[in-house]
Amino acid sequence: MSLSHEREDALVQKLKESFPADIKETNIIRRARLEVTVAPEKIKDVAVFLRDKLGFDHPNGVSAVDYNRENRFEIVYHVSSISIKGMRDLVLDLKESVPRNAPRVGSLVSVWSGVENYERESFEMFGITFEGHPRLEKLFLTDNWDGPPPLRKDIRFPTD
Amino acid sequence: MSAPPKPVPLTTVESTETSDSGAQTLTLSVGPQHSGSGHMRLIVEVDGDIIVNVSPDPGYVHRGIEKIIELRNIIKSIPVIERPSIIDASNLNHAWVRSIEEIQGVEVPRRGQYLRTLLNEMNRIMSHLYWLSIYGVFLGHTTMFMWPLGDRELFIDLAEKLTGARITYSYLVPGGVRRDLPPGFAEEAVKRTEYFEKRLKEYDRIFFNNPLFTSRAKGIGVLPKQKAIELGCTGPTLRGSGVDADLRKDEPYAAYPELDFEVSTRPDGDSFSRAMVHMDEMRESCKIIRQIVKKIPSGPIRRKAPIVLPRGVAYGRVESARGECSFYLIGEGGDKPYRARYITGSYRNMAAIPAVLLGSRLADMPTAWWSIDYWPVEADR
Amino acid sequence: MSAQRTAQEEDPVATLAEGLSIWVGKLSDLVKKVVDTGPIRNVINWARMYSLWPVNITTACCSAEFGAASGARHDLERFGVLPIGSLRQSDLIVIEGTITKKMAKRLRVIYDQMALPRYVIAMGDCAMSGGLFHDSYSIVNGAHEFVPVDVYVPGCPPRPEALEQAIIMLQEKIRRSKVYEQG
Repeated sequence: MSLSHEREDALVQKLKESFPADIKETNIIRRARLEVTVAPEKIKDVAVFLRDKLGFDHPNGVSAVDYNRENRFEIVYHVSSISIKGMRDLVLDLKESVPRNAPRVGSLVSVWSGVENYERESFEMFGITFEGHPRLEKLFLTDNWDGPPPLRKDIRFPTD
Repeated sequence: MSAPPKPVPLTTVESTETSDSGAQTLTLSVGPQHSGSGHMRLIVEVDGDIIVNVSPDPGYVHRGIEKIIELRNIIKSIPVIERPSIIDASNLNHAWVRSIEEIQGVEVPRRGQYLRTLLNEMNRIMSHLYWLSIYGVFLGHTTMFMWPLGDRELFIDLAEKLTGARITYSYLVPGGVRRDLPPGFAEEAVKRTEYFEKRLKEYDRIFFNNPLFTSRAKGIGVLPKQKAIELGCTGPTLRGSGVDADLRKDEPYAAYPELDFEVSTRPDGDSFSRAMVHMDEMRESCKIIRQIVKKIPSGPIRRKAPIVLPRGVAYGRVESARGECSFYLIGEGGDKPYRARYITGSYRNMAAIPAVLLGSRLADMPTAWWSIDYWPVEADR
Repeated sequence: MSAQRTAQEEDPVATLAEGLSIWVGKLSDLVKKVVDTGPIRNVINWARMYSLWPVNITTACCSAEFGAASGARHDLERFGVLPIGSLRQSDLIVIEGTITKKMAKRLRVIYDQMALPRYVIAMGDCAMSGGLFHDSYSIVNGAHEFVPVDVYVPGCPPRPEALEQAIIMLQEKIRRSKVYEQG
């Protein structure tokens, strides 16, 4: 496997040029896997830029990760491109962090309409509020769970 | 056979309720106890018999697998990961081991890669046949229920020979596969795929070229190309809307780069297109299986892989029967993952359910809805 | 209440009807006795054994094997098992796998709406005890927690042959039981 990541480097370069202050961290994990951490206030601008200028038009999913030792939630938008054929193998993880005690972020449904269900799931599983979401209610757990958000790390279940 | 008749355009049978009442709508709950819903509920709002609003109510099979994986070690998780779609178990298993191997940096021997591909393609056929049989039930075509389920047993027997289990294999492990090819497998596989291709022609005659099907499926449940991309649809649903996206070609993994096959697409985006994409994929899978048993290299089937998950992040994805199945896996050095985000093809295609149903008639709901190939267990996880 | 009663006492037709209903009740007890002891019981049970129609409800992944069992090779219809959409006409629930708390409520509603006699087969490890998902936060550990179960089928998932055996066991149970004590 080649170690040169020209395509990924070019993407990172373009992002850094357009948002010099807001891109906190970029990381090329391996070939075709790219992480970009941005400030939560600016994530919408970066998302619009990714969609319109760099061709990332296909939402693959949204993950939320609970780092309870660092007292923060991380929300990861996995996006890829369908319109640019040479880039279909590339998955970009657009990340933002919010404090664990006040988990409020802006919703990206207006950018990628497909993330609606994933954001709803992050809301019910982690208790993260997405502002501007058209329908922020429970998705899977409407009847079968009324406790705290179950996927948080500090929620334990008896394993009897 | 003469050309199938054109479907009746919607405008010729305009309902009277829409014109005079306007706001008077009726909310129906379809499922979970309904022959046309499966393990989920669709809350459908109708005006006359035109569907004006749909909201899926999933979660009837939500078992919290993402939490369970965090509590078990990476090998013991394999059976749990297969369960969401046991008609397509090997592909989901592949996504899991692929993301583990990405973090561990383990290379799978070539024979192991071929065996993985072999089971994946057999599973794709089985899964599509199961889908087709339920489609037959939905459309009231009992022959199409019996035939695919009968022919599915051809491949179930084959998979049982290879792995020892009917549908839940746990065959793929980090580093390779569990068992090698049994003697006489290649001849049997060639025989069965050739027989199955003959059967597919009969399927075409009795179902896919049958006006009873075409008149109910053509032009029904249209999902435009741009909408399908925006909503993040995947698999046959995306390819039925004219996008030639297939991870087996776009991000070649396992033995796929060395095999010759075509990605099937249809431009129209209606129920008929999605059904035909499934049909074409079964033909291509038969081709792939025959190529694999012909050119499978010799050598080891498995390389030793550590049982721990080192610190690292991976996004492993494969093309399962219902589209892209992916794991966002975070390791922290122990034998359990810190977080394993599990996104399956059906979950992604859930966004397409309202899109294909809105504006169509209630009687067209089964045709349009099941053409997405939404398997609720897989979506709920 | 009392006014009604005096009116009834005065009315000879009502008195006659009341007396008759006592006699009808006694007669029906007699009929039940005759049915349960005589060869009529065998006829009724024979009819019930071979028309077990399961209601069209699927709970989880064992439905794939239920589908395979209803399909061409295993063909459950030769045992008289024909999946049916209407729950008023069905006699059997096959609980196919994991039951989430959300589904358990619906299953109970379905069970209550079915006409007597009704039977339950719990298919798969999850329907028996929670199985692979026993430590999950959203499932019920076993079908017996909310409906009475007649036959358990172990396996994850059980093979179609195991389901066939369960059907035969249920038929045997029906054959041996009394007509008015079923369901």
